Amino acid sequence: MNLKKIRNFLGSMKFAIILLLVLAAACIAGSLITQGKEYSFYVSRYGERVSGAILALRLDDVFHSVWFIVITVFLCVNLTFCNLIRLPRLIRRTKEAENMRAKAGVWGAWVCHLGILILIIGFGLGQIFKSEYTVYGVPGDMKPLGDTGIVVTIEDFRTDKRENGSVIQYTTDVTVRNLASGTDAEGSVSVNQPASLFGYKFFQNSTGWAADMHIAKDGGEIQKETVCAGDYVAFLDKPDLVVSFNRFYPDYDPENAMAVRTDTDEITNPAYLYTAYYQGQFLGMNALLESEELTIDEYTVTFSDPQPYTLLQVKRDPFAYLALIGGLVTLTGLILAFYVKPQGVQEKKEKEESGDE
Amino acid sequence: MNEQLLGIENVLFTVAMLLYFASMIGFFIFIAVKKKKAASVSYIIMAAGFVLHTAALVIREIGAGRLPMTNRYEFATCFAWGLALVCLIFMRKYSVDILGAFAAPVIFLVIGYAAMQSKDVHELMPSLRSNWLGFHVSTAIISYGAFGISFALALMFLLRDRISEGSFFDRHIPSKEKLDLIGYRAVALGILFLTFCIISGAIWAEQAWGSYWSWDPKETWSLITWLIYAVYLHQRIRKGWKGKSAAIFAAVGFICVLFTYVGVNTFLPGVHSYA
Repeated sequence: MNLKKIRNFLGSMKFAIILLLVLAAACIAGSLITQGKEYSFYVSRYGERVSGAILALRLDDVFHSVWFIVITVFLCVNLTFCNLIRLPRLIRRTKEAENMRAKAGVWGAWVCHLGILILIIGFGLGQIFKSEYTVYGVPGDMKPLGDTGIVVTIEDFRTDKRENGSVIQYTTDVTVRNLASGTDAEGSVSVNQPASLFGYKFFQNSTGWAADMHIAKDGGEIQKETVCAGDYVAFLDKPDLVVSFNRFYPDYDPENAMAVRTDTDEITNPAYLYTAYYQGQFLGMNALLESEELTIDEYTVTFSDPQPYTLLQVKRDPFAYLALIGGLVTLTGLILAFYVKPQGVQEKKEKEESGDE
Repeated sequence: MNEQLLGIENVLFTVAMLLYFASMIGFFIFIAVKKKKAASVSYIIMAAGFVLHTAALVIREIGAGRLPMTNRYEFATCFAWGLALVCLIFMRKYSVDILGAFAAPVIFLVIGYAAMQSKDVHELMPSLRSNWLGFHVSTAIISYGAFGISFALALMFLLRDRISEGSFFDRHIPSKEKLDLIGYRAVALGILFLTFCIISGAIWAEQAWGSYWSWDPKETWSLITWLIYAVYLHQRIRKGWKGKSAAIFAAVGFICVLFTYVGVNTFLPGVHSYA
């Protein structure tokens, strides 16, 4: 097989169809098989033999697997060669076309292919070069943004509600300090209304409950931490002892203690679900009312001051614009291909152009 | 939600559903009695159902104070509306009366599915409070509608091979070439609007969640649907694939559409679980 034949195959429609079908099959596998779980999860669901195959083929992480990326790269190669092979013919046909509409219409499929290529490249570069951080806390918290030299202060977090209690909007006010330049920027972040500060986009991602955890020894408080649901706190003078704050129940129903639950979102009978560990070993788990305390040896643990915390997603994707351009170019190509180019002419010419028939 | 308006919407929706059902029966009668008049009347009944269906959607929008596109009932009724819209346009544009006999059952099934969902009006959750909602869902509706009609045309194409010359179907089902072309037009409309839908969804997801593509099941199945129809478009211009094979691909594509809509919501919950 000479180079021209290889080039023709790589740019052929037959190869494109094979790639599209394989990609579709990969996507089906990636959506039907739960992604990113431990081996034990797959064993419990599919048995050992199937689980071994799932992990060996990386079907547990299809969209980041090498083979999926290779198929996508081949699709890019196919689109590139296809467009390069067709380019001289399209230029000739454009010159031959009688009017502007016909000239533009000739380029539909070519522009569509170019758009998809730009989109994939933009997405791929974004996956490599984007940076993502999560910042969560309550008003007053100051959190560093990884090692970027940026510090985020949560100034305020509010939840706008309707009369029936349903949520209209979550809003977090932040001040962002760039340590390198010593400058500050303020912003307000809501769902669907991200803020752009120092080149990073801040998104209102989610919320939950936080509370103050008090650790006392011999009657005196030795440690106080503001914890968000899911946080673990190691005792300062006994680090092997850890208490996690699992969940908050604003309106705890003591009549239904076997199935811990909350009746409403109003804070009328607050309870805090905790788990205690010593040297990694499970000690106990229970719901603690505000008036109650957890005693472990000489220590006592209490919770107070429940308040909502905010979770912000912070992201910088320098190539997101490329993906957007790719999408818009693809759309332009489709419009040109379907509605500008006369159908009869299109079919005839496409037939002539498909060299792999 | 204004309860009075909800009541009116309910009546209009029910009458529209009955009219779609009557239209479906009318098209079956058209096949049974072989009178063109029956098809014409069925078309008018479907158009009347469509008008009332549109009124029901408008009234729900007024009553809810937002676009009626945010829960399972609302999307299902919009899906049926999109199918009816594309069906009426294609029947008129390409003079294919018998398309109604194949499309009306699909419309009735989808609006029937809508009728089985809860019609309660819920307030919009923060992530749905966006100007992109209307555009994103509208494009999905037109796209699904067009794919539904391409499915009906594909069934007609596959039936075309089995009918005897000079029979009623032979006279009323267009030639294979015409069916192939109309089917192609329907798929072209569908894939164009599906592309609009995916891109607008990506822009919206970027604003709402900070990620324009996160392999959510609904996103992934929209991409699968797009890929299947892309294969259809490529296969169709390859020698020997135009016709029956293309029709089979168009039918498979619509099965993907249905899975994207019903299957994903049922079996693969993700960030689109409300739809």
